[in-house]
Amino acid sequence: MSLKILPIVAVLPFLSNGEEKVFFNRDVRPILSENCFACHGQDAKHRKAKLRLDERAGALVDRDGVRAIAPGDLEKSEVWARIISKDEDEVMPPPKSHKKLTAADKNVLKRWIEQGAEYEVHWSFTSLQKQQVPKVSGTENPIDAFLQDRLLTEGLKPAETAKPEILVRRVYLDLIGLPPTPAEVDAFLADKSSRAWGEMIDGLMGRETYGEHMARYWLDLARYADTHGLHLDNERSMWPYRDWVVRAFNKNLPFDEFTRWQLAGDLLPKPTIDQRVASGFNRCNITTGEGGSIKDEWIYRYAVDRTSTAVEVWMGLTAGCAVCHDHKFDPLSTKEYYSLYSFFHSAADPAMDGNKNNTPPIIRVPRPGDDKRLAALDAEIAKAHKGVAAAVTKIKYQDPASLDPLPKPERKKTLWFEDDFPKGKLQVTGPPLTFVTKEQGPVFSGKRAITRTAKNATGQDVFSEGTPLVIPKGGKFFVHCYLDPDNPPEAVMVQFYVGGWKHRVVWGAHEKIGWGNVNTHERIDMGPLPDKGKWVRLEFSAAKVGLKPGHKVTGYAFTQFSGKMGWDHFGVESTTNPAKDPTLSWKVWKEQGEGVRNKDLTDDLRKRFKGKVPAKWNKTQEKELHRHWLTNVYSGASETLGPLTRKIAALERKKAEVNKNAAITFVMADLPKARQSYVMIRGQYDNPGEKVSRGVPAFLPALPAKPKDRDYNRLDLANWMVRDDHPLTARVAVNRIWQQFFGTGLVRTSADFGTQGELPSHSELLDWLALRFIEDDWNMQRFVKRILTSHAYRQSTKVSPALLEKDPENRLLARGPRHRLDAEVIRDQALSVSGLLVSTIGGRGVLPYQPPNIWEPVGFGRSNTRFYKQGKGDDLYRRSLYTFLKRTAPAPFMASFDAPNREQSCTARGRSNTPMQALQLMNDIQHVEAARNLAQRILKEGGVKDNQRIQWAWRTVTSRRPASDEAKIITDVLKGHLSRYAEDLEAAKQLIAYGESVPDKELAPHELASWTLVANLLLNLDEVVNKN
Amino acid sequence: MNPALEYHQLQTRRRFFQGAGLKVGGIALAQLLGHRAFAVQPPAVGGVHPALPGFPHFAPKAKNLIYLHMNGAPAQMDLFDYKPKMQEFFDKDLPASVRNKQRITTMTSGQARFPVAPSKFAFERCGQSGILMSELVPHMKEIADDVTMIKSVHTDAINHDPACTFVMTGSEVPGKPSLGSWISYGLGSESQDLPAFVVFTPTFPKASQAQALFTRMWSSGFLPSKYDGVALRGSGDPVLYVKNPPGVDPSDRRVMLDALGKLNRKTFERFGDPETQTRISQYEMAFRMQSSVPELTDLGTESKATLEMYGPNVQKPGSYANSAILTRRLIERGVRTVQILHRGWDQHGNLPKLIKGQCMDVDQPTAALVKDLKQRGLLEDTLVVFGGEFGRTVYCQGKLSKENYGRDHHPRNFCMWMAGGGIKAGTTYGETDDFSYNITENPVHLNELNATIMHCLGIDNHRFTFPFQGLQQRLTGVEDAYPVQGILA
Repeated sequence: MSLKILPIVAVLPFLSNGEEKVFFNRDVRPILSENCFACHGQDAKHRKAKLRLDERAGALVDRDGVRAIAPGDLEKSEVWARIISKDEDEVMPPPKSHKKLTAADKNVLKRWIEQGAEYEVHWSFTSLQKQQVPKVSGTENPIDAFLQDRLLTEGLKPAETAKPEILVRRVYLDLIGLPPTPAEVDAFLADKSSRAWGEMIDGLMGRETYGEHMARYWLDLARYADTHGLHLDNERSMWPYRDWVVRAFNKNLPFDEFTRWQLAGDLLPKPTIDQRVASGFNRCNITTGEGGSIKDEWIYRYAVDRTSTAVEVWMGLTAGCAVCHDHKFDPLSTKEYYSLYSFFHSAADPAMDGNKNNTPPIIRVPRPGDDKRLAALDAEIAKAHKGVAAAVTKIKYQDPASLDPLPKPERKKTLWFEDDFPKGKLQVTGPPLTFVTKEQGPVFSGKRAITRTAKNATGQDVFSEGTPLVIPKGGKFFVHCYLDPDNPPEAVMVQFYVGGWKHRVVWGAHEKIGWGNVNTHERIDMGPLPDKGKWVRLEFSAAKVGLKPGHKVTGYAFTQFSGKMGWDHFGVESTTNPAKDPTLSWKVWKEQGEGVRNKDLTDDLRKRFKGKVPAKWNKTQEKELHRHWLTNVYSGASETLGPLTRKIAALERKKAEVNKNAAITFVMADLPKARQSYVMIRGQYDNPGEKVSRGVPAFLPALPAKPKDRDYNRLDLANWMVRDDHPLTARVAVNRIWQQFFGTGLVRTSADFGTQGELPSHSELLDWLALRFIEDDWNMQRFVKRILTSHAYRQSTKVSPALLEKDPENRLLARGPRHRLDAEVIRDQALSVSGLLVSTIGGRGVLPYQPPNIWEPVGFGRSNTRFYKQGKGDDLYRRSLYTFLKRTAPAPFMASFDAPNREQSCTARGRSNTPMQALQLMNDIQHVEAARNLAQRILKEGGVKDNQRIQWAWRTVTSRRPASDEAKIITDVLKGHLSRYAEDLEAAKQLIAYGESVPDKELAPHELASWTLVANLLLNLDEVVNKN
Repeated sequence: MNPALEYHQLQTRRRFFQGAGLKVGGIALAQLLGHRAFAVQPPAVGGVHPALPGFPHFAPKAKNLIYLHMNGAPAQMDLFDYKPKMQEFFDKDLPASVRNKQRITTMTSGQARFPVAPSKFAFERCGQSGILMSELVPHMKEIADDVTMIKSVHTDAINHDPACTFVMTGSEVPGKPSLGSWISYGLGSESQDLPAFVVFTPTFPKASQAQALFTRMWSSGFLPSKYDGVALRGSGDPVLYVKNPPGVDPSDRRVMLDALGKLNRKTFERFGDPETQTRISQYEMAFRMQSSVPELTDLGTESKATLEMYGPNVQKPGSYANSAILTRRLIERGVRTVQILHRGWDQHGNLPKLIKGQCMDVDQPTAALVKDLKQRGLLEDTLVVFGGEFGRTVYCQGKLSKENYGRDHHPRNFCMWMAGGGIKAGTTYGETDDFSYNITENPVHLNELNATIMHCLGIDNHRFTFPFQGLQQRLTGVEDAYPVQGILA
């Protein structure tokens, strides 16, 4: 008979009459939950006969002399009468429900009623209980004390410690997701100290590969991927979040902080870049950009996804049911669900993701190395500023306003076009740019002029990205046009670029060209066309077109609509009166801006001098501002300062470029004004019911008092989740980490700690671990080490038929954990032992080998992830964590080994065992190429004799030496392959050429091919695809 | 027989009947065994995987399912839902009383008018049953007497992604198992050397708007991934990785597998893990697939008459016609569920021209598939379903003329047809108003359609559940959904 694994209950399990005591949580609730609560539970709307059995008060209430349950009195308990009724209309549960109580169930209920029908709060909703560690001789780690105490009662013994070669591979795969090298195995075998095991764990946790491996599990929960997931399923730039998770594990960020940052990093005081990146947890949900979608529906769905995910990940509750109706099983009402939802309902992201990779809100995160690049640029900029300061001190300045007599106004003309454009970029609309000389056509001045013809369309010559041309005070533009008398244009336009093409003047039929809003600076209508057949000087003031003194023009355009015309002699004229010009006279500048915002000041200076008239400046202040003016405003020193300021500008541009290249990542932010949330009736986005406000379920600890000046926010929720007295968060977290190492959680339903979930196999141990975790300040590495240093973890996995029968799922842990490796680990292991693995950390997802037609047959016509463009070089050999994850068509090597497609949060992966996996490990190009590269290593590093090489190869993939019969099997296979490929060199060459890496030319093809198949065999061993 | 293997089978069988979980509250054994976290799966010695205990629930009318999904939503009033009165409504506004303030997509909600676009295609009563079909599907007319035309199917979703997810998984939100996965999970596989659930994603006319497909439409969701649909591909390996690498032939593979088997049996002796035994048999299954798949895709044994019946593209790998004939071959070989997902039916504009191209692709091969199944006596055991994810509007999207028009999404009624095992032949079920805008008689929700499919396969959809996220999940949703009695034979 196989074992029913139930938690041991600390109280005496027998009543004084010798009868076994029935416990509500352990024995009764599962029966009621499965069979009764759907109609007689907490969901008021679907409650039948107004009877609820999930609360004692409800069950005991006297209804016209009838009580559903009369404690201790079976006869008077209507429930019992219904249970045993033979009448189809009377019996409970009703036949229509397809539910049926077994004889054992009935017996439990009977005894429970007889024993007084005591209710208990569901175990996981009660606070963590301090646990006495059982005294079990020979145990050091409390985990073993709890486990072995239980084993003793079952008449079982823990298994012996596994062989060190097995252990070292187990712990490497579990901590860094990569196998140890033979040298690493040797090092551990050689270290006889009692601290060797702990030190190895510490060492592994200190590697960056640790974070990469641990992050995978979290990314399943966070539903991280590289595409939006719905409809077009276009790329989304989210990978800085993935890389942050890696770093967080490597830095051993405590779990409470880890929680706060992800749920509310954006709301922390002065959030760091990392904290904002972490807030992207709530932006990892799938989104749509499908045309025709209804906005309200998606805003609603995203909030539901975020709520349900947070509740499942941190509290292990399946809140999804309460979207539509009160939870039938857990005490979560619909209203409470929507109170939680309200925390997420005001997210600032739009309903439509726009099918772009930067759906707001986003931030740009410097790329690795950018901080150094920026620091170098900053240093150069600082140096240039020093140069400016030095040059400024050398200026011998005399204020023209203080001269007697005052200097005379000067007329100044600056040409912007004469014979050629300034240095920059040229673009044309229409035929190429054409100049004419005087011999060829009309020229106004200089050697040549532009001529352009446009056929019933806009034609133009556009100059851009030039050195800034500064608009002088009182500037007046002039340009010369020659309209062909036989074929004149319909409109003539000049455009200016100042951070955008927003300044235009136009003569003639301006609507023909049409750009910009007419009668604004974007399109000033200057009246009729100039006369035809002669050069006409067109003039307009800079002010008219919205250009102000100091504006820096970096581009302009000569534009026309249809016809033929010439352009020449373009520039700006201004009159300078040194004694009245604030760029020349300190006095004028100083006094000009009194009472108004002075645009020449920096924010800092403006703040400090706000409201202070110059007369009140002290000497130091006067000096400081004077220096600022000389440096930034004074135009009389442009010869000395000009090159320096241009250099600074260039450096600033470089800096901007670096910042622009910084990676985009989605972050969480709330709308400035929160949305009002409602209970959505039956979970329909267009059916709002009662208003709700932010809050937490009543059966859990309360939030602190609401702040006076604001509503509760996600940070309050995050803080609440990681309160020491929260009954769920720590239990759920430690259980999940336990599951990671032992394959199954102490609570098997690691995503469901509610009443529909399973009970913990070792409830005292779970509470002890959860409390320790909190006491250790949520230190994840310390917790992991606690598990790995237990004997339970280090046991041999060998199972006897008797034990297999008694405990097929290894819930009691009388043996060590053995299971198939995850998709990523299987591939990374092959890359690692073959020497192909590229260990670069982080960055945009890569596109390794993938068979044709995985993306293409499903991708939307216009999707930017429709065509798979396989990467090259390093991209083929990065860790699987970095494989680009397209949700609607994930990589086969991931999907067929149970990696989730990340459309929703995944707490536990399956561990299937299929023929598709066998085909993949045998034939997938990545595995065959890895086998060939491993073969190359065998031949070059494994010694010279076949038996040496077999020993080396076996040890490299399994960490142990082969038994003699195992080596014999390999030897035989090798011999067969060698003779076969010696006879068919062509086949050998084909095999070793498979994959993009080049086969080693020094090696004989038939030998390399034979060893490739041997390596392929080794990489397919059950022992190699499992942790043992 | 290997004593270890024998022992293991015995163990597994015993556990099968005892249950081994922690759950104490009378949860169905079948669910326990299928649980994602359940460490020990029954071994797949021989077949791919067995049926759940107690399955089918009752004697099935059909053993296999073929599901032909026209992705993008075919216009029901141009194919099967004949609306002669619309001719007089040409370019007149859809009466407000017909639309009745029902939601429409934001692609047309901004239109000033909703002018009626009558179908430009001629309809005809076909066969003895007199089922109405349009000139677009001349070959389907020939199988009219084999089908039940359901004119009153309706769905919840109004846009493609949620609607496609709903039609195939019973939920608009991704993460649920597909219909084919549910069926594989419940009924297991009959085939010894092919997967239980095979999917085709054939080519489609280049001119058509290629709405996306999603692997979730054939994946196993929260069920174990071995119930995923296996894509049979038109280019590259027909089944992923089924071909040996270059320079490796089947005898090399045999040598490797023999050694692998020996070594893995030693591993089993070392650790005693039953999963090792399962792995040994899965490698053998993989090896068998390496020959069964090429045999499957080789049409050399098909008669000329058969090939001609499927039309000119039948030999073109990856075409719908090729997929259709392979579908029949898969059914012959005991594959439980085959699904063809044909893309390009989303005609918001230029509908008359584009739908012709779509029909050119699917009409003849679809009719041929039904006829071919019938002539081989397979149709009585096989349920064939043809449809899309929703319907299209009678009012025009964009510019309207007698010859050209477009149609927006319409979830409130659309046509699907079913044929074969368990289904009445030669009937029409359900009715819509003159505008093909509202159902007037016998509505069939997609959940009810799925309940009907399951019923034909011998499954009571209400009893077919799997625990996930705190619920006993069903394909047909939380609310009750019953098979449509009116179409059952």
